[in-house]
Amino acid sequence: MQDRPVATAHTAGRPAAPASAALNRRAGGLGDGLGTALLRLGFLGLILIVWTALARAAPPGLFASPLAVARAGWMMAAEGRLAPALAASLTVYLAGTGIAVVVGCALGAAMGMSRTLARTIDIYVLALAATPRVAFIPLIIVALGLGLQAKVLIVFLGAVMPVILNAYAGVRAADAELVEMAIATGAGRGRVLAHVVLPGAVPYFIAGIRIGATIGLINTIVAELYTAISGLGGLLALYGSRFRMAEYLAVVVVLALIGAGVTEALRLVEKRLLRWREAG
Amino acid sequence: MTARLTLAGVSLAFAGAPVVQGIDLSVARGEVLVILGPSGCGKTSLLRLMAGLIRPDAGQVTLSGAPPRPGEGAAMVFQSYRLLPWKTVAQNVAFALPGRPAAEREARVAEVLRLVGLARVAGSFPAALSGGMKQRVALARALAPRPDFLLMDEPFAALDAQARELMQAELLRLVGATGGPGVVFVTHSVDEALVLGDRVVVLSPRPGRIVARIDVPFPVPRWQADPHDHPAYAELRHRLWQLLRDAVLKDPASDFHRPEG
Repeated sequence: MQDRPVATAHTAGRPAAPASAALNRRAGGLGDGLGTALLRLGFLGLILIVWTALARAAPPGLFASPLAVARAGWMMAAEGRLAPALAASLTVYLAGTGIAVVVGCALGAAMGMSRTLARTIDIYVLALAATPRVAFIPLIIVALGLGLQAKVLIVFLGAVMPVILNAYAGVRAADAELVEMAIATGAGRGRVLAHVVLPGAVPYFIAGIRIGATIGLINTIVAELYTAISGLGGLLALYGSRFRMAEYLAVVVVLALIGAGVTEALRLVEKRLLRWREAG
Repeated sequence: MTARLTLAGVSLAFAGAPVVQGIDLSVARGEVLVILGPSGCGKTSLLRLMAGLIRPDAGQVTLSGAPPRPGEGAAMVFQSYRLLPWKTVAQNVAFALPGRPAAEREARVAEVLRLVGLARVAGSFPAALSGGMKQRVALARALAPRPDFLLMDEPFAALDAQARELMQAELLRLVGATGGPGVVFVTHSVDEALVLGDRVVVLSPRPGRIVARIDVPFPVPRWQADPHDHPAYAELRHRLWQLLRDAVLKDPASDFHRPEG
């Protein structure tokens, strides 16, 4: 697993938890759910205090206090400025990232299964992954204009690369011993793929989707700034250029909340799909 | 007709290097044949040939008259268990029963899990089981499709001494039952060979050739009478040791040296 141990405090109290879970539990100290929540709340309080202090120290008009940001956010929501922008951004984000997940997993898995396909296209995929996707924006605008399609494509191009590369790596990392076992039971290619290769690659798929979702959100804002200005990116441009820092920061907070929400949702999916690791 | 697994003049090479040469073997359903040999003598390759996973370069492998095909007639049990960690115990066993009606599959899974004494952990994931339990799940998976032969590749080598003895007795009980499958059991343990085998063949180091065939005279069923106490046990054990030792010492690639230089 690239980023996060799957066995966490949630395994506490299970009978035959593996050693890693036992270690986490011991090292966690305040590692139960309530303890984590309290620690996180405390850290949030610290951030707010530092933020307030910085806002007081900064020259007027360059920064805004958490209270001012909350007030501005509330006003924007109440006056109906926030909801349409949020909806526009989420549409671009979810469409682009969603297509990237489907296409990326399929293409990455296909590359992992077919040596010929992998040998043929992996150099192009890697080259594309290393090229700053912003470079394609003028081309995309020429081809698709400034509307929704162009924005979705920009998000897609950013999000799809880590999904492809991780799915490819995950399928290639399939356990050869388990594959041989499956073949020895008479399983054909499809059955080996569905029961052995793909389930084993799930941690890779999720790691790729997690990175892709983050890049997708970044590219959503990039797309909204570079094409027809719209959505949350549009609000950032609007308030940023007029030094309305409270509103500007309120939009930033909304973006952070979207990022946190997506990350948490993926964590729950991962926990559900990988519950077999918890020795239940 | 009793099912029979036969190797006639079988040779196999990997990348030009011979692995096994001129192997003649025959096992009938209900019989336990042990293949005893040092590491790297091609024991595992023989099992893969018998399972139909690979084809010989020369000679013939037949299962009841036809070349073996994976999943048809023979089931493998591996040293490393090879359970699918994302499937429960019951799902792992059911994996060996594709394409059957759900009710029939569930009934057979429950039946073999009862047979190996694991009915109560049917819903557990492998990560929650001990090594001995995992190997019993693997055994249940192999038995589920009612194969004519079990092909077992040092299946108990990773278990502690106690679990190993219990599993040996368990295996003899399971295959000794009426209509039990034939077993080809690969091991490098002389004791395991004598406890389990009706017949033992000894292989030389790579390229593996058969250097001895021995009929084990202990009374059956052997899971009831401990063969260790049989007068012939010590003598046979010594003979097998000698054969194995000579084979290893004759091997130019061996790290061991003859005591007399």
